[in-house]
Amino acid sequence: MIEFHLNNRSGVAPYLQLIRQVRQALRLGLLRAGDQLPTVKDVAGSLAINPNTVLKAYRSLEYEGLAAAKPGVGTFVTKTVSDESVVAHQRLSMELSAWVGRAQQAGLDFEDMEALFQRAARAAAQEEAV
Amino acid sequence: MSSTTAAIEAHGLGKRYGHRWALADCTLTIPTGHVAGLVGPNGAGKTTLISLATGMLAPTTGTVEVLGGAPADGPDQLARVGYVAQNTPTYAALSVADHLRLGAHMNPRWDGDSARDRLSRLNIPLDAAVGTLSGGQRAQVALALTLAKRPKVLLLDEPVAALDPLARRHFLGTLADAVAEGGLTVVLSSHLVADLERVCDHLILLASSRVQLCGDIDALLAEHRVLVGPRKDTTAIERDHTVVQTERTARQTTMLVRLNGPVADPDWEAADVGLEDMVLAYMGADAAPAIAELTAVGGQR
Amino acid sequence: MTWVIWRQYRATAAIAGAILAAFAVLLLITGLQDAARWHAALASCAKDGTCGNLAQTVSLGSGLLTALTTLTLAVPLLFGMFWGSPAVARERETGTVQFAWTQSVTRWRWLSAKTGWLLLAGAVFGGAVAGIVTWWYAPLNALHQHQFTPVYFDIQGIVPIGYAVFAMALGIAAGTLIGRSLAALAVTGGVFLAIRLVVTYWVRVHYMPAVTTIYSVTQNLPSKGAYWPLVQGVVLPGGQLSTSLTVGPGYIMGPLPIPASCPAGQDQPISSTLACMARLGYRSFATYQPGYRFWPFQFIETGIFVALAAALIAVTFLVVRRRDA
Repeated sequence: MIEFHLNNRSGVAPYLQLIRQVRQALRLGLLRAGDQLPTVKDVAGSLAINPNTVLKAYRSLEYEGLAAAKPGVGTFVTKTVSDESVVAHQRLSMELSAWVGRAQQAGLDFEDMEALFQRAARAAAQEEAV
Repeated sequence: MSSTTAAIEAHGLGKRYGHRWALADCTLTIPTGHVAGLVGPNGAGKTTLISLATGMLAPTTGTVEVLGGAPADGPDQLARVGYVAQNTPTYAALSVADHLRLGAHMNPRWDGDSARDRLSRLNIPLDAAVGTLSGGQRAQVALALTLAKRPKVLLLDEPVAALDPLARRHFLGTLADAVAEGGLTVVLSSHLVADLERVCDHLILLASSRVQLCGDIDALLAEHRVLVGPRKDTTAIERDHTVVQTERTARQTTMLVRLNGPVADPDWEAADVGLEDMVLAYMGADAAPAIAELTAVGGQR
Repeated sequence: MTWVIWRQYRATAAIAGAILAAFAVLLLITGLQDAARWHAALASCAKDGTCGNLAQTVSLGSGLLTALTTLTLAVPLLFGMFWGSPAVARERETGTVQFAWTQSVTRWRWLSAKTGWLLLAGAVFGGAVAGIVTWWYAPLNALHQHQFTPVYFDIQGIVPIGYAVFAMALGIAAGTLIGRSLAALAVTGGVFLAIRLVVTYWVRVHYMPAVTTIYSVTQNLPSKGAYWPLVQGVVLPGGQLSTSLTVGPGYIMGPLPIPASCPAGQDQPISSTLACMARLGYRSFATYQPGYRFWPFQFIETGIFVALAAALIAVTFLVVRRRDA
């Protein structure tokens, strides 16, 4: 079963961190379709976070189609990360390298690039939440 | 009792000691089903508010109701509310098991097995005298005792203030676990905002013995912004929104505001504010309103 | 709540019980010895007809034991100070009321259990001590007939129960009204002593109007049983009362001088002096509470202290309901 951890200082909302960790585990093959995610009670208890935060993360995963809740039993992973997304990853990766090259030419250093990326990511996350 | 009965409802609640008002004009509603964090500087009235809600103190003015009933008004009302006071007072000479028996004799609805289970999982010896336990262990015992009476509302007054970080984490973990079981509303006071951020989804902020903020944390954070802009006249902002704190330097003005609509002026850049910064701004603004003016580097108002 | 109270007090109850048992054993042994001696003395004096002088010839008890029994005056005081005054005060000081008053038990239910058991414990212990002491004093009472006088009255019969209940109630009330246990302890001790002294020496005499009897100087006061002498003296021939002179068979005590016309001196038997005084018109008088009033007085005094206790407990309940914890 996956073990969650939280980074207080990352500036990323806890429920997003949980979602990311599930996605990462799926990507790495540590989680497969049919595996059970830890119960809301266990996650809340071991991380000392509000159970609603865990619920929010699990519901988000359900919405994305990555997991499904079986009432009275638990939440289970429904799909393994497919090859399609690996292809999408490669394409995005190439686009990103091109962008990095352009940014360097414009005179940005790596910290500037990180700042731009974080702002864009946060703005997108907020729009999602709305 | 209707499903819309608030966990705690206060109207004009106040408590005076001699000439000093420990809590004044407190009107708030805390809905059920949440974990509410009660924050504020020392002396702001957090303990007073909780003590009024548990019936340990009688109000000087106003009223407070917990789950629609007057505090400590009979055994049923007492059974619905769980309370852990600051410094978790216990009978030092009595053992943990004795305290469990005390609870069993003083509460009709008592789940001693779950308490014993919880305590043994935490490796707390049941026959040790409570006075010999560490602060963290005592806090866990107090929490187990109050959860065993199966309350609907749990009031905790600075339960983790004297605990080391690990003990704090364990305590809040036990609390979150209990909340996850369902049917429990928690009001938890603390002056450590970082801890509250993890486990609370509701915030009540007291400063100078008054309620400054009360609401869902995400909603409150969404309403607040840090506005950064050139040093200029701020009357428009002050008129349209609620300014919590202002800092001016020779070239720049920074303000933490509670928005009342969009900010039209393009000169102002709005950034999100974190929970701790927002809370500190309210606490600081109240304590020393003039200091903000003096932080100008070589500047004057 | 019973178990709760028991658990809190079981250690001190055990200690008090052990002390009581030791006290009982000591008095049982010495009391039986005294009783035996007394009965033997009675038997022998009946043979030679010297029963009138028994007070001079028989010695019962010992100075130490009598002092010990007198010390039982302090038993109610100790209960009040060390069980009563911390009852509420200590729990408020240590903050344990924050636990006790937020379980599913109301403050009044909690207080009822505490005061109920503490008062009962006080009454039982006080009664046990009083019972033992009263039994032990039987020969001494028979010999000296002093049980109606202060101190002896206070340690026998049922009044110690009243004192114990009062002291306990006083301690509980003081502890509730005064936040600190130490101050409450001191106040309990002080008030208890003050009230006991006032009642014993100023109030008790007035429970029923004292009886004054005038009788012949050549006789003892014709009152049966253990009476409580309040005032003694002589009625002078002119009719005035004087307490400066007391007379009786075998004694004349000044400072007022006997009349000059009556022979007196070392070679004169007192009986002839007394006969002379009688012929001159001197009589004795005594104001006293007669012996048959011993038990009524016991009941009245116990009633007073129980009533005081009830008032104190009522005040305690009212204060606890309103008081901020």
